[in-house]
Amino acid sequence: MPDEHLKGSSVNAVRRGIRNTFRNSVRTVGVVVILAVAIALSISMLIARDAVTNKINTVRASTGNTITVSPKGFFGFSGGGTPLKESVITGLLSIPNVTAVQESLSEELTSTKTSLKSPTPAGSLGGQFGFGSSGASGFGGSSSSTTFSIPVRVIGTNSPGNAVVGGANGGGTEKLTSGAAYSPTSTADVAIVGSSLASTNKLKVGSTFTAWSTKITVVGIFNAGSTFTDASVLMPLSTVQKLASASGDVTSATVTVNSLNNVANADKAVAKELGSAADVTSTQATTEASLSPLNSVKTISTYTLVGSVIGAAIILLLSMLMIVRERRREVGVLKALGAPNRSIISQFIAESVTFTILGAVVGFVVGILISSPITSALVSASGGSSSTSGFVRRAGGPGFGAGGSGFTPPTGGFANRGAGTFRFGGFSNTITQIHTSAGWSTLGFALIAAIVIAALGSAVAAATIIRIRPAEVLRSE
Amino acid sequence: MLKVENLDKTFHTGAGDVHAVQNVSFEAKDGELVAILGASGSGKSTLLSLLGLLDSPDRGSIDIDGTQLANLDSAGRTRYRSSQVGFVFQQFNLIPNLNARENVKLALEFAHWPKADRDNRANELLGIVGLDESKAERRPAKLSGGEQQRVAIARAFAAQPQLILADEPTGSLDKATGQKIVELLREVATTQKATVLVVTHDEKIAKKADRRFEIEDGVLKEIH
Repeated sequence: MPDEHLKGSSVNAVRRGIRNTFRNSVRTVGVVVILAVAIALSISMLIARDAVTNKINTVRASTGNTITVSPKGFFGFSGGGTPLKESVITGLLSIPNVTAVQESLSEELTSTKTSLKSPTPAGSLGGQFGFGSSGASGFGGSSSSTTFSIPVRVIGTNSPGNAVVGGANGGGTEKLTSGAAYSPTSTADVAIVGSSLASTNKLKVGSTFTAWSTKITVVGIFNAGSTFTDASVLMPLSTVQKLASASGDVTSATVTVNSLNNVANADKAVAKELGSAADVTSTQATTEASLSPLNSVKTISTYTLVGSVIGAAIILLLSMLMIVRERRREVGVLKALGAPNRSIISQFIAESVTFTILGAVVGFVVGILISSPITSALVSASGGSSSTSGFVRRAGGPGFGAGGSGFTPPTGGFANRGAGTFRFGGFSNTITQIHTSAGWSTLGFALIAAIVIAALGSAVAAATIIRIRPAEVLRSE
Repeated sequence: MLKVENLDKTFHTGAGDVHAVQNVSFEAKDGELVAILGASGSGKSTLLSLLGLLDSPDRGSIDIDGTQLANLDSAGRTRYRSSQVGFVFQQFNLIPNLNARENVKLALEFAHWPKADRDNRANELLGIVGLDESKAERRPAKLSGGEQQRVAIARAFAAQPQLILADEPTGSLDKATGQKIVELLREVATTQKATVLVVTHDEKIAKKADRRFEIEDGVLKEIH
């Protein structure tokens, strides 16, 4: 049998198969629409999954590889707890994979301890939660606070570079606007002040103010774009410990781990080392808690993706089964005329592939169009918790109660965990902002899915065709 | 020349064995029109299936021009059907979404006729059975029953087979058209030098054949 004849026969069979696709227009439209819906769903789920995965990876990459340590029960100035000892915290450096430990001591300067005036107005919340000022009722006291003023927050830190330049611990946007940072080992009576605090108190680089009855020289001014942050003061850790009579005390520490992969183990080791004296919170754990809704969306979209591809394959499989059964007599006639199984199967495969291609083209376009609203709907639906968990905090984690601002973290995500008073802010608001896009990988998936669907649909048709015996079909005339 | 010897076929059913064809032997020459008469269920369609290699006999031999067919494998049977046998069915069994010419060309394709010759051969056959160019372009649904059967006859003869098996070819036609179809079968059989076996239960049709056989309970007897 010449090869060219075989080739020609196959080409004709494929041509007949394509023509057969349009033999029954109602059925063609029905099958294509159902396939298109299933493929559109799978495409949109793939795009949603990719978008969510990218978001998760981006967030994970931006969270850093740090662990926050604070005294047990410490909650900014609103909480209790006993300060940790610097010697104990320094010992954390011996834990495997820990590369650095940054310590800080948070103190408040009431009007009796400093010449500085807070730029933050007390407001009704400041009166309600007022503490430490003259005439105030202290934390949890009554709301009568006619003479209450917000204390100035001082953070003693041995990492002024990290605390100021480029955002402390990866979360902030503050920048040194003038002057310079002090040395990490400095014991001098110097400070870097927030821009609004400097403005209120008319401070410049070289200006002085008093704190704990000591003259402090301003060596730098920073801006974080946040009222809360820009009203604070950064000073050398040793200086604050000395002036506040808190020698060796630390209210917060940031432990840096060499790799994201080692954060979990280091987190456990730090917690074990410090025991019940401290609350230990890793950025990774906090991030994972924030990302939980997105992980749910990823899981849902994965299952829906697989389900819709299987669904499409079953739809085509049943359609082809129905078509082959409907054309049993025709298959019998073709066999009687001497058509080899290969030729008849090619014809039905061509029909199945044509259905799939039509469904895939329509489904691909529709899938891309609906992917964005579907992704938004999925994220919104499972992110009800996401949006409300905008400020993520684990038990005993650091925080800060301030007049006027209440418990709200600073906008812009200033995360000075080293100081133990700031947490993620605005972070989770961006979690739900997910951008969808379709690339070559999506197109590749559509192609592979179409091939799988067509192959499954054709396989059943082929198996059925092979079993058809022309004598039986024609005898039933 | 068709030579059949001791052909047997038994179907094993739940109700017991059915001897559809029993010890059938006969010969038919090229260009001869042979009629096989029989009632429904007598075994005539089974005999055609065996001769067309759509089914396998339990015993016996089928010989065409010295070629033994009973022992062919599946691929050999398919080749034999495509090149040596033409079928004409009661219900015409044309492919509904192909026009008359394409239906005829289908047989030529399976018989591996050169592609360039298929159109000419199909047009020639359609002309022989009395269908003009306009009819050749029509799909089966746009043709009358008689015209559809003419297309089926053209398709059966297209690849110049040596054996034409016609199963109740006039069963779905009126008497006048049926007579014309049988005359056409005879005419084409003569010009194409093919042996034509017509299974029918119509005596008038059978009388037009060169030889007549009767089949009853699978047993074939020649009627003189």
